[in-house]
Amino acid sequence: MVKAVKGVVIKCDTSVKEIILGLNQHGNFILEDLDETHVFVDASCVEQLRVDIDQILNENTYNVEEANK
Amino acid sequence: MSCLYLNAPVSVVELKSWFKEGTGTSKLLEAMQRLEALYIFSDERGYYTMHATFLQEFRNALTGGGTSQSFGLATSTPDKHHVDIAFLDEYATQQWEAILHFMVGTTEGKPPCKGVLNLLGRSGLMTGGSHPASMDPREYATHIGRQDLGVPKITHKGFQFLLQDINTQVWAFLLQYLNMAESLNMDLVEVLNFFFQLGSLELGNDYSSETLTDTQTHLLEDLKAYGIVYQRKRGSRRFYPTRLATTLTSGTPVMLGSHTNPNRIGATANSADGAMSAGAGAEENDDHGFVILETNYRIYAYTDSPLQIAVLNLFVHLRDRFPNMVTGVVTRDSIRQALSKGITADQIITYLTSHAHPQMKKNTPILPLTVVDQIRLWEIEKNRLRPTPGWLYSQFNRQADFDATLEYASELGVVIWSNPKRRMVCITSQGHSPVGSYVKSLIARHREQRSEQQQQQHHHQQPHVASIAS
Repeated sequence: MVKAVKGVVIKCDTSVKEIILGLNQHGNFILEDLDETHVFVDASCVEQLRVDIDQILNENTYNVEEANK
Repeated sequence: MSCLYLNAPVSVVELKSWFKEGTGTSKLLEAMQRLEALYIFSDERGYYTMHATFLQEFRNALTGGGTSQSFGLATSTPDKHHVDIAFLDEYATQQWEAILHFMVGTTEGKPPCKGVLNLLGRSGLMTGGSHPASMDPREYATHIGRQDLGVPKITHKGFQFLLQDINTQVWAFLLQYLNMAESLNMDLVEVLNFFFQLGSLELGNDYSSETLTDTQTHLLEDLKAYGIVYQRKRGSRRFYPTRLATTLTSGTPVMLGSHTNPNRIGATANSADGAMSAGAGAEENDDHGFVILETNYRIYAYTDSPLQIAVLNLFVHLRDRFPNMVTGVVTRDSIRQALSKGITADQIITYLTSHAHPQMKKNTPILPLTVVDQIRLWEIEKNRLRPTPGWLYSQFNRQADFDATLEYASELGVVIWSNPKRRMVCITSQGHSPVGSYVKSLIARHREQRSEQQQQQHHHQQPHVASIAS
């Protein structure tokens, strides 16, 4: 029987995909793990996901201003 | 044009002799056809006649006679409070920059009046809380004017607006005003009429506001707020067009006194003539370039205009400020801040390129590649996720079903992602209903086929069973 599910397809690079998988352990919003660069998630969590990923990526960047202080 | 003062009809042959052979004649025919369509000219047995009323009015318009005042009515009596061109320039600059300042969010200058806020909000140059389109414009003005809704923020469109030169900005503003005019119960024709009239007025002269209609008086009030015209006090009988108004119809860029100009450092008390010549000089060199961007992301801007500094502050981390220059650094954070306001990397790069210092313009490319690339990378980084809402179809029982569905969906062009091995396909939201019904019909067909097969098998088996029983 064919099943149709509503959601959001997210296209991203592999590193971000890993972060999403990591975040999924807390939230469990992934409906289907499609392939290395695509993941199918619940529509309601996309904005939150964006913020979370931004935050994680921010922690991993070198900041010139802070380094000068 | 020449027909204007000819009272007798002109013959076609004669008319043709005014133009060059070949290209001229074809243009003439085209022009005459248009004019005839407008009933300005009529063709009577090979003679062209200009329409009498049109002729009369056109002559009036050119000589400024009659009662229509197509070029505005200059006041005949001298004004007790006469203002000179320098003052008008200053006034126009002050008003216009107040608007721009407000847009970039500096506190300098007094906040613009409600009419301006209204226009900014409606044109989508700035956002301030909610703005439903159905709301009455005046009500809306008080709405965004209130502090409790938060200060309006500059939008993507607004930033684009700031990058343009003043003449384009004024036109954009006026066009927006036209769009809005209808909702304010103003007569479009009268508004337009007044705009064109303004464009043909002479700087430094005063004009009477007595002949204006109610709509135009109201319009005058609004234009005063933009710094396009000056009126000493509300209800005054005379008004002065400023440089913003008089350059409306000419292509020359408006040169306002405080606009950034490397030659003008230290010269605070500039007379109108001084500002004009300095402005013209700068225009010849290049149009006010003042930004130097180095490969180490440092930026030096030779400007003393608070407005330009405020614009830079949108995407540069400013560090030091000197009387004639500011220094800053382009950082990831500063760019990201700008990006989050909806300003794109391309806009920033265009701005830096167009305002590059003459020294920078000698380089090819003008901006250091490293910085340009990095700004673009920062933008891409911000958009690492590409979400597309859609539907996931999975658990197809047979490969044939899946293949048929995939083929059907790709014909419609609604496939986002597919994997034949796992028999999964993602369809966009628009494609959901046609694909969904297609899948249903597929399943229904299978079920029919299967039940038919079962019945046939049943028929086959029945006699067999019967024979055994007997």
